[in-house]
Amino acid sequence: MSTATLPITQPSARGPAALAIRCRGVTKAFATGNTKVHALRGVDLDVAVGELMMLVGPSGCGKTTLISVIAGILDRDEGECDVFGEDFSKMSGGQKTRFRGQTVGFVFQQFNLLPALTAAQNVAVPLLINGVSHSVAIKKATELLGRVGLGDRAGSFPRQLSGGQQQRVAIARALVHDPRLIVCDEPTSALDHETGHVVMRLLKNVALGEGRTLVIVTHDARIFGFADRISKMDDGRIVQTIVGRENIAAQAAR
Amino acid sequence: MNIVAILMLTGDRLKYLGLVAGLAFTTLMITQQASILRGMASQTGAFIRDTGQADLWVMDPQVEFSEDGKPLQDTAIYRVRGVEGVEWAVPVYKNWLKAQLPDGRKFTVIVVGLDDATLVGAPPEMIQGRLEDLRQDKAIFIEARDSTTKLILEKGQFKNNPRGLQVGDRISINDHELRVAGTMKLSKSFFWDPVMYTTYSRALSFAPPERRLLNYVLVKVRPGYDHKQVAASIERATGLHTQTGPEFEKTTMMYILGKTGILINFGLAVGLGVLIGLLVAGQTLYAFTLDNLKQFGALKAMGAGNWLIVRMMVVQVLIVALLGFGIGLGAAALMGKAILATDLAFLMTWEIIGICGVALLLICLVAGLASILKVLRLEPVVVFKT
Repeated sequence: MSTATLPITQPSARGPAALAIRCRGVTKAFATGNTKVHALRGVDLDVAVGELMMLVGPSGCGKTTLISVIAGILDRDEGECDVFGEDFSKMSGGQKTRFRGQTVGFVFQQFNLLPALTAAQNVAVPLLINGVSHSVAIKKATELLGRVGLGDRAGSFPRQLSGGQQQRVAIARALVHDPRLIVCDEPTSALDHETGHVVMRLLKNVALGEGRTLVIVTHDARIFGFADRISKMDDGRIVQTIVGRENIAAQAAR
Repeated sequence: MNIVAILMLTGDRLKYLGLVAGLAFTTLMITQQASILRGMASQTGAFIRDTGQADLWVMDPQVEFSEDGKPLQDTAIYRVRGVEGVEWAVPVYKNWLKAQLPDGRKFTVIVVGLDDATLVGAPPEMIQGRLEDLRQDKAIFIEARDSTTKLILEKGQFKNNPRGLQVGDRISINDHELRVAGTMKLSKSFFWDPVMYTTYSRALSFAPPERRLLNYVLVKVRPGYDHKQVAASIERATGLHTQTGPEFEKTTMMYILGKTGILINFGLAVGLGVLIGLLVAGQTLYAFTLDNLKQFGALKAMGAGNWLIVRMMVVQVLIVALLGFGIGLGAAALMGKAILATDLAFLMTWEIIGICGVALLLICLVAGLASILKVLRLEPVVVFKT
């Protein structure tokens, strides 16, 4: 079985109009004392609408920095990066925050659920941030918990839930305000194999099923099979892009 | 998001209760100390307030406070009466004298001598007996609270059956026998010696020769005359100092607060309360923020702007401030109520409550400032760091 490696600058077959993310020559460096660490060294990346793209690579290769730039929580130094045609660098701080609140959903490695809030209240948070009333937010959150199989745990606190359940709550939270882009940071690394697959099935079927775009940072080769495309990063660059079921399966089997 | 802020706050019970308890203690310390100081300040003017019938007090120019009644010549009374605008003027005697109780114990007492004819300056409330009883032979009134606290007969024949001095008992002041003819209720005073009232002439009869002089002239201003103008006229005519009751109260209060160091001591206690509040609230709030830093980061990543986060933190601060203030104020009020029946000073005014409330709010906001700045500077990217 051969692995297809595409040129990183190759445009999507769906054309620019169907792009969710378009990055060109993105750089980012961090200053640590007198040393400058180049986390991104000119990243080019296209992610199509409705695509599940996985960013993989060794620790420190710049994956997290790249999704932070894509999600608008970190400013790039140079290059271009549009998300649904919008450029974060042209937005004010407030506009950026609002855009992020309405357009991006997050799933974190450590779930980052608020421990004092019930599952339903946690899921409702993005709606509350967007100014939806508490009662409406809770109603929608409870419905969504039902869709991720936790309808009976809406009143449970995070400490009363297993890791997999907490990640399902986090997925519901990422979806509740109907974002167009979902950014996941190692969503399965804290979970066992079986639970990781449950979470990925949810992401693939529930999250992606509504025309959203998913960008997942992961080390977990066991879930590569869920990807439409895998971009491998190393030393701040995308060094390989893998598409096609067979090629991805081969990558997962390595 | 206010609900989320409240739930985040109350979620960590230990820190939440610690914060409320710290602020409650701060409130208790500030309001209690301030109320005691206010009570003491108020008590310094008790004698002046109890002598409320007079509009003006005429005294030696060197008098610095109400208990400092320097002697005046008898003629002062006539010169004051001669001033235009004076309706009436009566003498008041006030001095510390030695008294001996029926059980043989000796006390220093404050004796107030009232004008025989009018009894102007009489105590505001009689508990036993009538005011006119003061004109009976050898009559003297004692303060009702003193009779159960300070004037206890407990030596000699009273050793086995101690009791308070009561109506009908005989005491001696400067070897002059007197009879308790009534008990009265006076305002709580800053000065601790027992107070006894008698007539002016009787007071002079048993006072030591060098003290057989009046101390104050009480003046009633004629209707239609301005108190300040009459006071000025008296000063011009007699060379004596003249103040209205409230002015004399203020003079007395400022003198005592200034000379005794009470103001500085209580001020330090209040300042200490503020400092403790700042440290407790600041430390706990900051620890709370550090514990929740990643959660705040997640909220920021999910689209919560800085102002929303600040609003959430202000809501949290306001809630703990309100609860701490309420509990502390309640505790201070209960302490005040508990000492109401004693001679201890305590006066919780609306001004104290208001000032303490504002002070606590400032404490919380200043204490919360470090936390707020920390969160404002927080980059949401922190949520991606494990």
